[in-house]
Amino acid sequence: MTRTEIEPGLRKIILFEIVFPMLLLVLGITTGLLQVLYRAGVIRSQSFLGIEYYRGLTLHGAINAVVFTTFFAVAFGHAVIRFYTSKPPLLGWAWTSVVLMTVGTLSAAIPMLTGKASVLYTFYPPLKAHPAFYIGLVLLVVGSWLAFFGWIPTYRQWLRENPGKKTPLAVTGIFATFIVWFIATIPVAIEIIFLLIPWSLGITKTVNVPLARMLFWFFGHPLVYFWLLPAYVMYYTMLPKLAGGKLYSDFAGRFTFMWLVAFSAPIGIHHQYTEPAISTTWKSVHAFFTLLVAIPSLVTAFTLAASMEHGARKEGGTGLFGWWKKLPFLDKERWLFGYLFAGLFIFIFGGITGIINASYNLDTVVHNTAWMPAHFHQTVAGPVFLAYIAGSLLLISTLRGREIAFKGLNVWIPYLWTLGIMVFSTGLFIGGVAGEPRRTNMGLSYTNPASPLYQPTWKIAKLVGTLGGIIMFTAMLLYFVVFFATLLRKKTSEGALDLPVSEPLHDENVPAVQSFRPWLVAAALLLILAYTAPFLELARGNYKGAPPYNPANPVAESR
Amino acid sequence: MLEKRILAAATIFALSIAGVIALSVRLFGIDLPTCLTDVRPFADAKVIEQGAKHYEVHYVAKMWKFEPADLNVVPGSTVDIYLSSADVTHGMQIVGTNVNLMAVPGAVNYARVKFDRAGEYLVVCNEYCGIQHHNMAGRIHVTDRSQLPPPVPAPPMPSSGKELLDKYGCTACHSLDGTPAPGPTFKGLYGSQRKLADGQSVTATDDYLKESIEKPDAKIVKGFDPVMPSMTIPPADLHAIIEYLETIK
Repeated sequence: MTRTEIEPGLRKIILFEIVFPMLLLVLGITTGLLQVLYRAGVIRSQSFLGIEYYRGLTLHGAINAVVFTTFFAVAFGHAVIRFYTSKPPLLGWAWTSVVLMTVGTLSAAIPMLTGKASVLYTFYPPLKAHPAFYIGLVLLVVGSWLAFFGWIPTYRQWLRENPGKKTPLAVTGIFATFIVWFIATIPVAIEIIFLLIPWSLGITKTVNVPLARMLFWFFGHPLVYFWLLPAYVMYYTMLPKLAGGKLYSDFAGRFTFMWLVAFSAPIGIHHQYTEPAISTTWKSVHAFFTLLVAIPSLVTAFTLAASMEHGARKEGGTGLFGWWKKLPFLDKERWLFGYLFAGLFIFIFGGITGIINASYNLDTVVHNTAWMPAHFHQTVAGPVFLAYIAGSLLLISTLRGREIAFKGLNVWIPYLWTLGIMVFSTGLFIGGVAGEPRRTNMGLSYTNPASPLYQPTWKIAKLVGTLGGIIMFTAMLLYFVVFFATLLRKKTSEGALDLPVSEPLHDENVPAVQSFRPWLVAAALLLILAYTAPFLELARGNYKGAPPYNPANPVAESR
Repeated sequence: MLEKRILAAATIFALSIAGVIALSVRLFGIDLPTCLTDVRPFADAKVIEQGAKHYEVHYVAKMWKFEPADLNVVPGSTVDIYLSSADVTHGMQIVGTNVNLMAVPGAVNYARVKFDRAGEYLVVCNEYCGIQHHNMAGRIHVTDRSQLPPPVPAPPMPSSGKELLDKYGCTACHSLDGTPAPGPTFKGLYGSQRKLADGQSVTATDDYLKESIEKPDAKIVKGFDPVMPSMTIPPADLHAIIEYLETIK
């Protein structure tokens, strides 16, 4: 794999898919900062700068966790498939995909910005949004599917031309990503198309809330693996090279990707431990499968540490721990290492707290408290976000032929972000265990001395969380400076696609992890096993539909 | 090969956590809420004193309060909590306990909690439920009986029409005094002319009322949505309800 000239059409598509969500991310990050200020009572108001609290929270979640991630996964997928298969892309699919995704994003953004969709990014009914919000989500998802469908013929052709050769690990990773995404998005598409859109348009009068919630979380957990997998692709295929060495085990990478294809979906009920309408039998089955999905992450932790050690020792590192000093933490040319390494560090804590959340009855202590955003900021805003912003910077730099701007500043950004995340999460973990709720404008009640609900003991944790949030925001401001300065500076070389490529140290030949087929069958069987009975339970329960929704007034006083 | 040993170690780690969880459920009985199908969603909050230190509480979560907003129990009490939502999805956490339940419209959630320690417990809504979500909270006061207001007696079996309207949850959506609500008011309903959504007009006779209770979607009054569930009510109760409606002029 070497530096590749790519088609101007594909180059334009990838650059747009990086820059467009990056502009939205400026808003997404700002609303993030406002969150911590509101919650600590620094802003003691229902709205600030014309953005109502829960409207801002909806924008923060939807832009950062849904729009930015989906666009990056597709852009990165285009780049990886083009780079590793060396085949011209099917541009028709790619163009249709980017147009649908963009139209969908705008369609969902308008009601969110105008306060007609303050339903948060989980849009639990019977909170009701404007139909354009739901339709926009569908277009975004379908658009991302089309990009994936366009890669399938390309990959099949590569297979025909390379009989007996292993699929490049990065390509396996991207296909795993989009298989997980495809499995995940079918139930949410059913929820949106058959339950929410007709109800939001007024065609149906009510909605079955327990059913909608189960369909949402059928989507919601594989969603997080869709976020994580592109980061894993970067970890397995780029990090070892950046560390100066080789990937310790090729098998570990393939096993991880395949295992996630099979196990990322049949575990969604672990988000529903505290709900009615699902029996403890099926809650415990999903808990068990959730623990099994931790296995590849533990294997990944080992493999990446071993790969870094291999690199560091090749560069002259010695001793039991002394080799750490030889890693390129602040190397201006290998800046990508810092972003990936910092993400891995954060993920240690995100992973451990994930196991805590998954642990069945333990979840009742932390469910829907501030603990949860602390956990998922250590995952989706840790390894995932750092890999994605680093990947975005890498792609605009290589495709446009621009050197990274402010290189000395750039190498510090991931560490500043890590400091921010760790401080922020510490505050939220402590607050969560004390009972502080998530998704709540606490400045008006729990952290407001004038309110009868004032909880003085929650104040310190809040201030710690706020300090962390301010550090994170500062890190992102610096990142935006580096990103846009790199984007807009003068050309330093001809643009082309160039990605770091790691060779395997142990190139094991384990056929079981070299074909998707057995794992797709396993995924189907596990889904049938995990979800048939819970859906039948819902059907037998015959839950009545939700009462009519009125966002402004309590139901009993409306009309 | 080392990689395979790591894989085995990771698997053993995951399985041992599963084992510890299973033990905690078996040995200590710490379990999650399960699926209840024998309790119909209710619209009215209730506190029932089942015994000396045993209460059954029907909590209703609604925008933006818990009912009952305040609950008084004596130290050492066991409380069976049933939770229903009157509108959107809410959460209910009793801070300092393991009670953490989702209130999902259409279903009933359940948890049992024992209050050993005297004090005031905050009940927080921990699921976003609209623009006043941050003000949705309640309290449980665990205090000695001497400091309590007189205990609420267990309600007698409903017999009068008015009590039946409460029992079947009718008054959640139909007012008795003409206040606007999701369903038409009961005031002056009996014997009146009803304008229907399809343009026709009918008189509210006994038969009409019976049909509207048992098959609410058969005739929809103009200006209202067909959201009422079909009710199955024993004939004696049905008769008492219609007789009572006749008296609300």
